[in-house]
Amino acid sequence: MNSRATSPTFVRFLVAHYRDFLLYGLLLGAVAWFIASGEQGTGYHWKWYRMPRYLIQFTEDGWVLGPLLQGLIVTFKISGLSLILAMIFGLTTAIFRLSDSFTARLVAKGYVEFIRNTPLLTQIFFIYYVIGPVFGLDAFGSAVLALSLFEGAYASEIFRAGIVSIHKGQWEAAYSLGLSRQDTYRRVIIPQALRRILPPLAGVGVTLIKDSSLASTIAIYELTQRGNIVSSDTFMVFEVWFTVAAIYLAITFPLSLLVAEMGKRMRTAD
Amino acid sequence: MNISQHRQDIITVRDIVKTYPGGLLALDHVSLTVRQKEVVVVIGPSGSGKSTLLRCLNGLEDIDSGEIIIDGIPLDATPRNRLAIRTEVGMVFQSFNLFPHMTALQNINLAQEQVRGKSRQEANEATMALLARVGLTDKAQAYPAQLSGGQQQRVAIARALAMHPKVMLFDEATSALDPETIGEVLEVMKGLARDGMTMVVVTHEMGFAREAGDRVIFMENGRILEDASSADFFSNPRQERTRAFLGQILCGPIPGLNGTHLNMKEQT
Repeated sequence: MNSRATSPTFVRFLVAHYRDFLLYGLLLGAVAWFIASGEQGTGYHWKWYRMPRYLIQFTEDGWVLGPLLQGLIVTFKISGLSLILAMIFGLTTAIFRLSDSFTARLVAKGYVEFIRNTPLLTQIFFIYYVIGPVFGLDAFGSAVLALSLFEGAYASEIFRAGIVSIHKGQWEAAYSLGLSRQDTYRRVIIPQALRRILPPLAGVGVTLIKDSSLASTIAIYELTQRGNIVSSDTFMVFEVWFTVAAIYLAITFPLSLLVAEMGKRMRTAD
Repeated sequence: MNISQHRQDIITVRDIVKTYPGGLLALDHVSLTVRQKEVVVVIGPSGSGKSTLLRCLNGLEDIDSGEIIIDGIPLDATPRNRLAIRTEVGMVFQSFNLFPHMTALQNINLAQEQVRGKSRQEANEATMALLARVGLTDKAQAYPAQLSGGQQQRVAIARALAMHPKVMLFDEATSALDPETIGEVLEVMKGLARDGMTMVVVTHEMGFAREAGDRVIFMENGRILEDASSADFFSNPRQERTRAFLGQILCGPIPGLNGTHLNMKEQT
């Protein structure tokens, strides 16, 4: 009964959108043709069957992660650590920018403007080659510091917007009870602001996972760097980069969906 | 003003001036003394500076010049001094300003734990007693969004009382309420007045002013135009401007002003 009720609507949907379906078919065809011609033009031989061992392998020691998944773990480590640090940098900077102290505002503003107006890759090199040796930071530490400084600058704008969005009356109520500025932030303002900015903050996490691929440039064996090595070792360029891209997508796409869903819920909750 | 001459002055305001950025003169050389256990009602048209006066009294607004002394402590601009003053002065806002992410209990507990350093258990006990006082024992675990306006305002009053303030300031505490919940908040405020709380109340509720107020102050354009005992104020306003204002707010001519019409807002 249900299907009888829905099938005419489906047919109507097909008829109404036939041009869209045609376009969709053409698009898929074009992509297939592009890949096929690339394969023919370069005399490429697909060797997908050789790919799984670079992800996971069964040896006498049992299941062992292949280089790509080992790289993914490094990617997670860098992104995770950077995310925590970026949140700390971001929140501190936001509070500095909203402080009464001219110096604090200047420092925060200078940091944000410097980071936002120079390329991330330059920052990574700068920290690895200039700051790193001074403070004894290794490549991993440099990458984490560069990424967290970079994302922290963007996160600070998100935090600032969240804090500013909290009604003035909340400050006044807390102040009138004798709470200090610090306690007001900690107990009243930030808990409320966090709820509102959780979606964009989670977005920072997605960006971090993607941007962590730049750590490959300072010899960190994360996912992209591992992909680079495997592809030059095996010449399976297509398979390796398709796989690497798919792994990134498999992590970030669900995260992005989650962010979008959270955003929708927040809007209805407010 | 002779009613409480023997009592100690809790609030002394001397010649304060407050200008808002942009040049608006909100308080124009205002002086005022409030004695212990006195209930002072401040009325006046909107923009007359009555809310600003209240907000200056606990340092939510800075003053340009003049002097404010609360319970012997002069209010100056240092953060520590401000915190000291604010713990002695409770404030209730027009828009309640409860913390929406906390239950009623947590709202009232917060400053007790954070400022007074009470343990959770001590705070809980004090809070439950306060909730009983405002008639909301059963709402301890409710979030502000689950409460009516009147209930929220009663929680806000309990929250301010939790600090054991020497003075309570009410900034149009019933103006944002639905008519049917105004009464319950006014009852709580009258109860406080009966219990001897020193109160400065900015309100449009003339019934409250007459019934619970010891003194009524009429403000306009940042100045105090009339300052009289509440009986004198309503039966025999001295200033022409006060008569006109009372006439407007009570929707009737002054001759009808014999007390019976004063409860209009409460009766509806």
